[in-house]
Amino acid sequence: MNRIDQLFQNKQKDILSIYFPAGYPKLGDTLPTLQMLQDKGVDLVEIGIPFSDPLADGPVIQSAAKQALDNGMSLQLLFNQLRDARKSITMPLILMGYWNTVYKFGVDAFLDECKKTGIDGVILPDLPLEEYTEDYQSKFEAAGVHNVLLVTPQTTDKRLSIIEKAASGFLYMVSSAATTGGALQASKEREEYFRKIAALEIPSLIGFGIHDKASFQHAASFSNGAIIGTAFIKALEKGQANEFIGSLS
Amino acid sequence: MKIKLCGLKYSKNIKELVQLPLDYAGFIFYPKSPRYVGEEFDPAIPAMFPESTRKVGVFVNEELQSLLEKGEKYQLDVIQLHGGESTEYCRKVKDAGFELVKAFQMNESFQFQSLKEYENVCDFFLFDTKTENYGGSGRKFNWKVLEKYKGTTPFFLSGGIGAQDAEQIKQFTHECLYALDLNSGFELQPAKKNADQLEIFLNKLELESMKKDKFAVDQRGYYGEFGGAYIPELLRKNVDELQENYLKILGSEQFRKDYARLLDNYVGRPTPLTKAGNLSRRYGTNIYLKREDLTHTGAHKINNTIGQILLAKYMGKKRIIAETGAGQHGVATATVCALFDLECVVYMGALDVERQAPNVARMKMLGAKVIPAISGNQTLKDATNEAIRDWIANPESFYLIGSVVGPHPYPDLVTRLQSIISEEIREQLEKETGNPNPDYVIACVGGGSNAAGAFYHYLNERKVKLVAVEASGLGVDSGETAATITIGDIGFIHGSKTMLMQDEDGQITEPYSISAGLDYPGVGPLHAHLAVSGRADFLSATDQEALNAAKVLAESEGIIPALESSHALAVLEKMQFKKDDVVVINLSGRGDKDMETYMKHFA
Ligand SMILES: Cc1ncc(COP(=O)(O)O)c(C=O)c1O
Repeated sequence: MNRIDQLFQNKQKDILSIYFPAGYPKLGDTLPTLQMLQDKGVDLVEIGIPFSDPLADGPVIQSAAKQALDNGMSLQLLFNQLRDARKSITMPLILMGYWNTVYKFGVDAFLDECKKTGIDGVILPDLPLEEYTEDYQSKFEAAGVHNVLLVTPQTTDKRLSIIEKAASGFLYMVSSAATTGGALQASKEREEYFRKIAALEIPSLIGFGIHDKASFQHAASFSNGAIIGTAFIKALEKGQANEFIGSLS
Repeated sequence: MKIKLCGLKYSKNIKELVQLPLDYAGFIFYPKSPRYVGEEFDPAIPAMFPESTRKVGVFVNEELQSLLEKGEKYQLDVIQLHGGESTEYCRKVKDAGFELVKAFQMNESFQFQSLKEYENVCDFFLFDTKTENYGGSGRKFNWKVLEKYKGTTPFFLSGGIGAQDAEQIKQFTHECLYALDLNSGFELQPAKKNADQLEIFLNKLELESMKKDKFAVDQRGYYGEFGGAYIPELLRKNVDELQENYLKILGSEQFRKDYARLLDNYVGRPTPLTKAGNLSRRYGTNIYLKREDLTHTGAHKINNTIGQILLAKYMGKKRIIAETGAGQHGVATATVCALFDLECVVYMGALDVERQAPNVARMKMLGAKVIPAISGNQTLKDATNEAIRDWIANPESFYLIGSVVGPHPYPDLVTRLQSIISEEIREQLEKETGNPNPDYVIACVGGGSNAAGAFYHYLNERKVKLVAVEASGLGVDSGETAATITIGDIGFIHGSKTMLMQDEDGQITEPYSISAGLDYPGVGPLHAHLAVSGRADFLSATDQEALNAAKVLAESEGIIPALESSHALAVLEKMQFKKDDVVVINLSGRGDKDMETYMKHFA
């Protein structure tokens, strides 16, 4: 069974997912960071595939991605780094990246590597749903790789029902209209949106703007859990990743 | 129905033919044929056809090794066999990776069972007229015999089809008819085809591929395989809203009136079409300049911003976001925002803020907020990223994009708004020369908006040669270039599937050009399609060639062009024209903003 499905079967509340870019802050940090996160009890990790033009990301993730690229990170190198990860890493792993890098790598080769390295899902924010369902969904399903889809406060009900049909794994519930790293603002409307998505059959995690224990708990109270990216990267940068994860529980 | 043109040989002739929608181009490698390509045939000749035209090699009982070698040497996609080749032989050709067509000669007594064993190895059959000499007789066979063909392998209909047969072909139906094979019926002499006669014939067939508006965007925003809307879900609602509204609004009476009035009274249209006498003498032809440099704000960019600001207004938007490279689009946006009293935020690469200082000052004076983009190379690509990020964070704003790039519907929207350029060229040329169609239209390409506008009304006029000029910076192979079509490959940038400069890991490469407006690693999807389909020629000009061309124009015509437009002028040196050719160059902007750069090089 796909490890993401397993996770949501075993745990429905307070799932903590962490995002960080591969090869950051140092090229060789991908695996040690994964190990640390697992040791600290993190449930799920999204590994960012660094891209030169990350449209949906704010300045912190942009500059982390740039540093990773300057370090020499690439998609192929990431797969090489992950070759033996499954000897010790049992958490579900997701790759998050932009469509250009995957397309250039070759979709078949990409899915093949995902299978080999034990990747459970991908998040490809700029691959349109229609292109995915028409051209790629069957391949992803055959490879057993979940394509995690995003919903946002702007997503209309009509579109939501289309997304729900195509979704697998869980829904990535974007907290607000912002690139990554913005602040999460509480509002009635926002809470209604959270509740609407949480009421769907498919599990969901809230991301964008979650940065500490309080915002994590707030988000997690509406869904199956939440995703922390920018705040974790800042901690990585300062060498305080361990402490940061500790401070969340 | 597909079209194959067979028996080709001569490069000069092929030059006339590449503009036709041919699906297959056939070359005969049988020495006894009058259309035999010969021993010394140049592999560059088949390569003149665009990728969308499949190259076919025709062989008769050729030794297998020699056939495979020729297939490799001439980069053939398809092998067509006309002799007594066995299924085993066919299988080997197929295994070598070629598509396979096996020809059979028809007469009243043809035994269709004999095809059975070939069904599984051949991609296609070709039915030709039975002769003594392996076809090529120029005679038709009685197509009625094909009623007896009950197989499933699709076939090419061949044998003596000529210009007079269009009606009969339209009447002829068969489930497996796949393509027409044309050859001697359209020749001036063996292997020399009559392009005009072919074009008329293909028009008569009313093929899908000959339909007007071949270059229009489809329902989902694609030009051929390029375009689409590759955007994060965060932008979906905004883009959907725009997709739903843009055609309705652009087509409305009110919009058309407002747009036309503003173009006349505010932008200063129509812009003149100036016959450049001295330049014409210099290059021995007839050169006309479309004077977008004379518009208000000094470049074609204003045609687009006037249209989009009306659209924004009708959609009830209050805040405008734009990106800019040279600053021309930023100025044009700041201008229309001032006119319509809307808040204006312009992202501009930090490096461009420096090298286009006069335009930064203009934007500020017009009341816009200019935000330097400090990511990446700090040029247009990065400014566009920042503008899109702003739009994600402020979905109630209107993103006023500056070129024929971005997610659908922007490429189509901006193309339509810039199409006023070729609309005017047609009228002006008609008045001046009696013919609305020139022989050439030449324009520079950054994202491609001025070129799209200058090409638009000629896209389906195949006789008008379209020439797009990219900036090659220090040279296409220097690593310091912005010649996207020349060195790029397929990728995704700013929401669009297009041609793109990228490294082997799919990281987008930093472009370079002396001209800030051409310094972009992608190109609009329409242009990617024009390039791949062969409809437009993509040339390039270096920094130095552009500078030289600017000097020539200044001194010979008294016009200082924008550095971007100078790239279009620069290819005059590299092209060959006939004395009575009519050549239109789109002078996209004036050089005021570039004076510092010009002075550095000429002072
Ligand atoms: C005068 C001028 N010409 C051409 C361009 C290139 O843009 P496009 O290819 O969209 O026409 C620019 C862009 O800033 C420009 O200012």
